[in-house]
Amino acid sequence: MTTKSLFAFVVLGPAFAGLGCRAAAPPVTPEVIAVTRQTLPTDPADRAWEDAPIHESPLLLQDLVEPRLMAASTPSVRVRAITDGTRVAFRLDWSDATVDDRPVAGAFTDACAVQVPAAAGPDVPAPQMGEASRPVEITYWRASWQAVVDGRGDTINDIHPGATVDHYPFEAASLEDKSSAQQEMALRYAPARALGNAMAGPRDRPVEDLVADGPGTLKPAATTDSTGRGRRVADGWSVVIVRRLPAGAQPGGRGQVAFAIWEGGHQEAGSRKMRTGWVILAREAGK
Amino acid sequence: MARVYNWQLGREMSYWYPESRPKRQFAAVFDTNKCIACQTCTLACKTTWTSGKGQEYMLWNNVETKPYGFYPMAWDVKLLNDLGAQTWQSGAYPGRTIFEAARPGERALGWRPTDLDYTNPNLGEDDCTGRIDAGALMQLPHMSWFFYLARICNHCTYPACLASCPRGSIYKRSDDGIVLLDQSRCRGYQECVKGCPYKKVYFNPMTGTSEKCIACFPKFEMGLQPQCFVNCIGKIRLAGFISRHDQVRADNPIDYLVHVRKIALPLFPQFGLEPNVYYIPPVHVPSPFLHQLFGPGADAAVAAYRNLPNDTPLAGLLGLFGSTEQVIATWRQQGDMTMGYDEGKREVVRTPLREPVHIRAALDAARLVMRTNCP
Repeated sequence: MTTKSLFAFVVLGPAFAGLGCRAAAPPVTPEVIAVTRQTLPTDPADRAWEDAPIHESPLLLQDLVEPRLMAASTPSVRVRAITDGTRVAFRLDWSDATVDDRPVAGAFTDACAVQVPAAAGPDVPAPQMGEASRPVEITYWRASWQAVVDGRGDTINDIHPGATVDHYPFEAASLEDKSSAQQEMALRYAPARALGNAMAGPRDRPVEDLVADGPGTLKPAATTDSTGRGRRVADGWSVVIVRRLPAGAQPGGRGQVAFAIWEGGHQEAGSRKMRTGWVILAREAGK
Repeated sequence: MARVYNWQLGREMSYWYPESRPKRQFAAVFDTNKCIACQTCTLACKTTWTSGKGQEYMLWNNVETKPYGFYPMAWDVKLLNDLGAQTWQSGAYPGRTIFEAARPGERALGWRPTDLDYTNPNLGEDDCTGRIDAGALMQLPHMSWFFYLARICNHCTYPACLASCPRGSIYKRSDDGIVLLDQSRCRGYQECVKGCPYKKVYFNPMTGTSEKCIACFPKFEMGLQPQCFVNCIGKIRLAGFISRHDQVRADNPIDYLVHVRKIALPLFPQFGLEPNVYYIPPVHVPSPFLHQLFGPGADAAVAAYRNLPNDTPLAGLLGLFGSTEQVIATWRQQGDMTMGYDEGKREVVRTPLREPVHIRAALDAARLVMRTNCP
């Protein structure tokens, strides 16, 4: 050990001990505080989250517009935020006893979303998906997409292991496997994919960027720049969503953010969800 | 909710959107008495539209055996049970429709099948309770009879799928009333699957969107009947346009069967969707069952059908079923011949009331061979 490194250990030791304390119990804050770090964590298991302040937001029923959610499910979501000055990473943790990541008939997938106003300013749009001429931006993560990104195949047997299929016409022997003719024919029987519907896959990321200006108006953003990563943990989900900072989010500034959680096992999808109102998103000052 | 008029109920009812009838309405008549459940219609549809990944158990057209066949499982009896008793009074339905019986937070009374409910398309096929001559093995409410019920999307005037979609991804075309699901807009919430009482919207697990019958609109726009109609072996189907209930034209074959003669009836009209596929009820099925399926006009329709040998216009018109791929816009009868005309008033088909019969001697004397009846 050099003299210099010994000095560092002696001088910084108490500071690390303090950090260690905070890692065990990071501060709980009444608002979401985005702390600044040079590098954004993209994985919920990243140790960078350990000292990020935690905001616990109670969730409300979406019971204002039909179809409504009439029985509450997920009670709250724990949120942490880290920014590098350009982008912001949110980590959302919530309790969920069941893994729901199979998008089959009559079943739904666990999911979460982060929503911010599209424009900066004190006059924020309605937290329920924005309002006419005052849009919101949303980044949406879902467990079924995460399963595909994590390696689940794109066949019916990956969803229904016991399914048997006699024949698909585009897999006839007369068509060369993986040829353009074959893919073109397969698309004819997958109209949502043929039309470029982002819901229809195949997927390379578990999140989608969306915009909305009122209930029922949700549509994909021009591009999805955000990234995400969800992990199943002991009592629920831990999901990181990395997106660009909301407009006007200056150091020391205060903006708005909202969150939504869908419990697939409770038949939640679309407007049937647990959600927050606007929550203050504060950036650390001077960074 | 808005107030709209439903002629099948004989009253106004509540619906999510105001009344907006299309300029013309796709409609069909199915003669249940001629269906043999060969499923050629099912395969004609499947090979045309739903042979892709995620569509394996998607049957836009299916034929099920009633009373014990369902696809998906229990699609009708479950909703009938949830809706409660349905009673008609003097030809009108004062009870609650699925829109009027919607639970808080919902746009219609509905339920959503699970994947297991789709795993047995042939459930109950050809089931009745036993051989009549051998006596019944058990006692059930419906003894020793069954019939085949072919089903497609009803392209309803008041679609519950359309009402249920919070995104407006389902629309009804103003030119022909065909109900379509926008595959670029759907996000797979399955609200339409839940809302449609006929369960004719299907979720595709591979694309994450829902899909449904499109009435073969590329054909229909060309004046041609859909695939399940023209491939029907039993010639049970006729597709066309139905006029508004207050603008009936007797020379329109669908109007004649539905509005003039009232021999073709909607399926579960009490649900309140004003469905546009009409059924000539089976003549051998107990009246209470027919009432539940087709409403209070069932007895008169059966009587009219039994009287066909004495009813030249009706018998002649039924002969046009399955006789041409063209959509028959108008029809006319002259003597024993029934003619069908397209939109341009061109004759597209001509059928005799009775096919000519030729009897040939068993022995071909010229060739000195016996004739056989091999097909």
